[in-house]
Amino acid sequence: MLPLSLLKTAVNHPMLVELKNGETYNGHLVNCDNWMNLQLREVICTSRDGDHFWRMNECYVRGSTIKYLRIPDEVIDMVKEENTARMKAAKNRNRDQNNRNNRGGGRGGNRGAGGGRGGGRGGGGGGRGGGRGGSRGGYNN
Amino acid sequence: MSAMLDALVGNKVEIVTNDGRVVVGILKGLDQVVNVVLANTEERVFTPEGVDRQALGLYLIRGDNVAVVGAVDENTELGMDFSTIKAQQLPPIVHD
Repeated sequence: MLPLSLLKTAVNHPMLVELKNGETYNGHLVNCDNWMNLQLREVICTSRDGDHFWRMNECYVRGSTIKYLRIPDEVIDMVKEENTARMKAAKNRNRDQNNRNNRGGGRGGNRGAGGGRGGGRGGGGGGRGGGRGGSRGGYNN
Repeated sequence: MSAMLDALVGNKVEIVTNDGRVVVGILKGLDQVVNVVLANTEERVFTPEGVDRQALGLYLIRGDNVAVVGAVDENTELGMDFSTIKAQQLPPIVHD
């Protein structure tokens, strides 16, 4: 599974982040993005030599400075559940959108799933043709 | 290109990081920049006095820091007697 999706799943979990400079940040993950930038809450920062400690309510870590993250073991089991939940949500969204499109072409809808798809394609083709015509006019100019 | 490493997903791998650390674990996933997810991770610290193994759980290593990813042969590993292994630590990668 993708590392960044594991990170997304780990939101609200405690973790340890070690930076390239050797500092470690222990805190709860509030948010993360595609660049591995992190927002942590209730953070304890430990210096490289382990001698100095800082406590902060919140901190932001730039992804490029990260060496690695230690994440609680249970998070990896949660990733699969999150994936199935996300796929179901996406499927429901697609089904709702298709139903809305086919309401215009009632005939397509009556045929069922196959008919619905056909109606969608026809509408898409017509739209594309119109677009092409318009751009040709542009080139002539 | 990372299709080469996709074949190792699910297997035990050994990762050498840029700071010279050796980490062994089950490769759970990776991406185009070789960020790596390792489960049941174990860090092996080699010293002239012996090997120290530390269990570290779930690891997400940023691709910038990965130098080597190697497949571990479980059978060979089982046959290894760690109490007799003595080695120098790998130095960190230095860009000159």
